[in-house]
Amino acid sequence: MATIQDFSGYNPTWCPGCGDWGIGVAIKQALIQLGLSPSSVAAVFGIGCSGNMNDFLNAYAIHSLHGRALPNAIGIKLANHKLPVIAIVGDGDCYGEGGNHLLHACRGNHDITVIVHDNGVYGLTTGQSAPTAQKGFKSKSTPSGILETPINPLVLTLTSGATFVAQSFAGDAIHTISMIKAAIGHKGFSVVNILQPCVTFNKINTYQYYLQRVYKLGEDYKKDDFKIAVQKSLEMNEEKFPTGILYQVKKPTYTDQLPQLKEDTLVNRKRFTDFDKITGPFI
Amino acid sequence: MTDFTWMIGGEAGFGIMTTGVVFSKIATRSGYHIFDYVEYPSLIRGGHNAYEVHVADVEVSHLNPSIDVLVCLNKETYEKHKHRLTSSSLVVFDQEEFEIKEDIKKIIVPFKKILSDLKGQPIMKNTISLGVSIGLLGGDIDELIKIISEQFSKKGNEVINFNKLFVQAGYDAVKKNYSDLILNYLVKKIGEENLVITGNDAFALGSVIADARAYVAYPMTPSSTVLTDLAAWQEKVGMVVRHAEDEISVINTAIGSSFAGVRSAVGTSGGGFALMVESLSFSGITEIPIVVFIAQRPGPATGMPTWTEQGDLLFSVFSGHGEFPKIVLAPGDNEEMIELTAKAYNLADIYQMPVIVMSDMYLSESHKSVSKKFVDKFISEYKVNRGKLINEITNNKSQITNESQNSNNKYLRYKLSDDGISERLVPGTPGSFYQANSYEHIEDGHTTEEAQPRIDQVDKRARKWTTYLKSDFSMPKVYGELEKSEMVFVSWGSTKGIILQAQKLLTAKGVVSALIHFNHIYPLDIEKVKALFKENKKYILIENNSWGQFGKLLMMETGIKIKEKILKYDGRPITAEEVVHKVIKL
Repeated sequence: MATIQDFSGYNPTWCPGCGDWGIGVAIKQALIQLGLSPSSVAAVFGIGCSGNMNDFLNAYAIHSLHGRALPNAIGIKLANHKLPVIAIVGDGDCYGEGGNHLLHACRGNHDITVIVHDNGVYGLTTGQSAPTAQKGFKSKSTPSGILETPINPLVLTLTSGATFVAQSFAGDAIHTISMIKAAIGHKGFSVVNILQPCVTFNKINTYQYYLQRVYKLGEDYKKDDFKIAVQKSLEMNEEKFPTGILYQVKKPTYTDQLPQLKEDTLVNRKRFTDFDKITGPFI
Repeated sequence: MTDFTWMIGGEAGFGIMTTGVVFSKIATRSGYHIFDYVEYPSLIRGGHNAYEVHVADVEVSHLNPSIDVLVCLNKETYEKHKHRLTSSSLVVFDQEEFEIKEDIKKIIVPFKKILSDLKGQPIMKNTISLGVSIGLLGGDIDELIKIISEQFSKKGNEVINFNKLFVQAGYDAVKKNYSDLILNYLVKKIGEENLVITGNDAFALGSVIADARAYVAYPMTPSSTVLTDLAAWQEKVGMVVRHAEDEISVINTAIGSSFAGVRSAVGTSGGGFALMVESLSFSGITEIPIVVFIAQRPGPATGMPTWTEQGDLLFSVFSGHGEFPKIVLAPGDNEEMIELTAKAYNLADIYQMPVIVMSDMYLSESHKSVSKKFVDKFISEYKVNRGKLINEITNNKSQITNESQNSNNKYLRYKLSDDGISERLVPGTPGSFYQANSYEHIEDGHTTEEAQPRIDQVDKRARKWTTYLKSDFSMPKVYGELEKSEMVFVSWGSTKGIILQAQKLLTAKGVVSALIHFNHIYPLDIEKVKALFKENKKYILIENNSWGQFGKLLMMETGIKIKEKILKYDGRPITAEEVVHKVIKL
């Protein structure tokens, strides 16, 4: 079995106290507990403080462009649907620059796991406001306060067709590990929105802020009820943050529905050579 | 000798395109070669569609100036194309629909009456037209009926027999009333077996031959039929075709698949490619192979979507931020499209860089007869070369540890090498891992901002170009005798067939010419290319754009300046006659 050292690359360069530390450890722990090794998992990183995990986590990986991790992850999955594929992204990355990709990845029920570091700011470019920032949030790019209302990532992904939607808080590593494990274990599109304090640039959404506002979904929560899931998710608009699996249903994945992948993965199948079948109709 | 042009025109949305392809196939099945061209506006209904087929005994890839048989399903067809009629041209139309005052050879066919007598749909005018055309050209009606039967095979005998009635009615109308005007241009003869394919079909076919397994695209004229071809074939050939949400997703999906080990391509036109460009640079630094098909149309922006131009050459050559190597190819005809597409996949794998295959509407949407024997031979000789792709590593450790990763035997994705190319490991291979990094990186893939590793990696990537120029670059082909010619045309891509025809016309006028035709566009072997150009000759650049973009590239790379230019940028292809006309004036 792989160890935490096997998954550990360079020492992280995140700010002391950053929520990314907790998420980084949680991802490694989840992979270990799932029996995976750096050789048996593919990870795609976006650009941002979250994406910088590329150098700290060992795996077959792409450090992608800003916003483009999801289509890269989908591409890997199409080529090798037996390989677990995770996308490690930020809120600006995935909900801003790559927003369109997120909608369509949900629609396609592509069997990838999207782990979003949601801290409300663009940390790596020194603290401009992100699409999840609360209305009125003051930052260098919005000195009078952001005019837009925040994206609700849970409602957005739910209503776009995600078959697994979860939320956790970076300050609760144990719970975050269990959410990531469940998401990777889910067959279909899964997203874990991780509420993550940025200690340097976000003085509003602090550890204290979240500790007062997060609550775990109860054991009796019915996670296959779409309407309840949407209702619960809407609580984020009132700054109440449910954590846990908000929604999970079984549906055929994108690759499940491709007859050409029934026998083998795309990368491993034999070469097609019956060319007359293709040229014939042109005669 | 057979060499004629048949054209059918009518309102958009009434099956003109399908009818044109059927005519092309009847001609090839009757033993002739064809090249066709379609004009249509960017809308689905209304507007004017015109489809012309150049039929000849020999291979052709150009259009004729005159039309020999013009089938007018509406008045607009006649008005728009009458300037191309000669005294011997035949014009098919229905006097009940409109009158023609000019003194021309009229073939009056009662389309309306036939439709109402036989209770047909308006779209079946096409079927009648085919019967008329085959009758007029002395063709074999059985060939036509065979194709109609194939076309409607899924709809059953009733539909087939119903359509046959209209074919026969058209055929009989001509045989009965115009037997004296029948041209025996399409008399069935023994010829070799031909495929009737467009440039886009050729790219799709080349991709399957090359064992491409992922094709990702967003529809954009004139590239869309690559998507529809491959989407239709995907289950048969075991390919995955994804129609993604936008072109950014398109190229990034393909990059993901390619990273995971399958040959991947994308297809688009200039506007879609503009959206992909950041990711082309990403492919450049991560050294993930990708084949990009660009079917050009006149820009800028939305431009003229259904017309032709070679206006994206410099954009393609210099696409992408930062400095990274890429290869640009531009086939001259459909045969070259098959060859260079299949080669593009090998080059992408060998050099681990983006390879762009350029087409344009003229090449992409025109059908040309391509010898089946040629295609079969190419298929049997083509070898998939995946370059330094590996799926096992030496010193394989079943259990990786940090110790093995830190040892000297560690796999280095971006290992420095003399040829600039490093081993590329298929993800999922046990015992190792690596990251493909969009940041500058050291040999093992980790991010760096240090000076020396940066220089090392920039130089390593650049060496791949040197290796390519030595091993896989092809010099331009010279048509005609360079030494004996005082006049030398210089062109690239789809203008090839047109200029070859212009050369023939010039020979008849006593002008000896040669053509230097580039299909390996970038990078160029500067010294070798320079050597092709001599002081004492007149060089004429021919391009389907307004800047003379290849001329600029040539000047930038080699210092060679071509003063005489024939440039056309009205959305229409250049014609051989235009070339001759302009050359005589020079």
